[in-house]
Amino acid sequence: MSTTRHLVNRRRRLAVVAATTAPPRADSAPVEEPQPTGPTEAEPEHTAGPDAGRAAEPDDAGSPAAEEQPHDGRPRTGWPRLRIRLPAVLCAATVLLGTFAAWSFTSAAELRDDPTRQNTALTDISRTSEVKGQIADAVGAVFSYNYAAPAKSDLAARKHLTGKAVQQHKEMLAEVRAQAPEQKLVLTTTVTESGVEQLDGDRARLLVFADQSNTRTGKEEETTYAAAMFAVDAVHRGDTWRIAAIDTFTR
Amino acid sequence: MARVRTTRNPLVVAAIVLTVAAAGAAGWGGWSHYGAAHDDSAAYAEARDDALAAGEQAVQNMNTLDHAQVEKGLDSWEESTTGDLHEQLVDGRAAFVKQIESARTVSTAEILSGAVTELDDRAGKAGVMVALRVTVTAPEGKPAVKESRMLGQLTRTSEGWKLSALGQAPVGNTAG
Repeated sequence: MSTTRHLVNRRRRLAVVAATTAPPRADSAPVEEPQPTGPTEAEPEHTAGPDAGRAAEPDDAGSPAAEEQPHDGRPRTGWPRLRIRLPAVLCAATVLLGTFAAWSFTSAAELRDDPTRQNTALTDISRTSEVKGQIADAVGAVFSYNYAAPAKSDLAARKHLTGKAVQQHKEMLAEVRAQAPEQKLVLTTTVTESGVEQLDGDRARLLVFADQSNTRTGKEEETTYAAAMFAVDAVHRGDTWRIAAIDTFTR
Repeated sequence: MARVRTTRNPLVVAAIVLTVAAAGAAGWGGWSHYGAAHDDSAAYAEARDDALAAGEQAVQNMNTLDHAQVEKGLDSWEESTTGDLHEQLVDGRAAFVKQIESARTVSTAEILSGAVTELDDRAGKAGVMVALRVTVTAPEGKPAVKESRMLGQLTRTSEGWKLSALGQAPVGNTAG
């Protein structure tokens, strides 16, 4: 171990230390400061000798590595907490926000799927009055019958009925049709009150109160009135509402 | 410094992107939820369903009476009503009790269907129509079953929707 080599190593080491800022210097200070008496170059050299010798070895092995160490070392003292903290905070925030997003979407969907909201009776004013008006007309047309113009009733049935209601209507009017020619029967149905129970897109259910007048003009003219109540399932086909089923509440 | 930043970036940047995406989703979700929860037509729809449920129950109550439990039955009538209708029931109660106790009838009602015909949410007024089947059992003879077309007016009170008017839908020469 020649002194020149020690000196060179020390200079190198000092240069490295000088290049870095406060924290590493504070680290190395306790090693060098116990000998502040002689600020000569040789004095620290002596006491630091064994230390410097050991430190010199890696210095010799590769100075670039030694140069990087302080760089790495510095963030290690200041950054580690932040390095862990920032991603952790981001993760926590992501989980919390994600949970909130998932909850809000599902609960919004639940709210929208609520049967109360699905039913747009009255809330959709124009569609409610549209279905009410068209079904009232349809009921009036298909449940009216004039012995003198039976074809009119058939036409009305074709126009306003669909599905199950076609057969139901046929059965309901069978008796009237059979008696009509002989009794010169005129059946007139007028909807007096109707309300939309359900309205969901192209489907609706209405409660209908209707008056029926039955006029027989066969032998002597006689008119009877009857009150009717029934529910109607309606479907929207093309641009008209048609009666799809008639519920007369029979047990 | 520059080297440190480049080694940190991919992870942290990915985390930031995820967080921002989550924040966006949360914002959107919150907005969507707020919209769904504060929908005016939804509140109106709820009022409609509340009115219908209360109306049907009230109409059923008003058509149910057991002579053996007249007082209890009439209490339920009074609880179901408000305004003039309520006054009429209270005023006529004594006479009605006598009448039912001598007739010894039991009436039960079944709601077949019901619909709200009009609803003024702000004024707290609603109209309902109810299809009803009433069975009246007298001490002797077969139970009489009749179907009723009821029209009722509802008024919203602090205790919910109550009937302020009730009657049969008129039958007559409206047709023809």
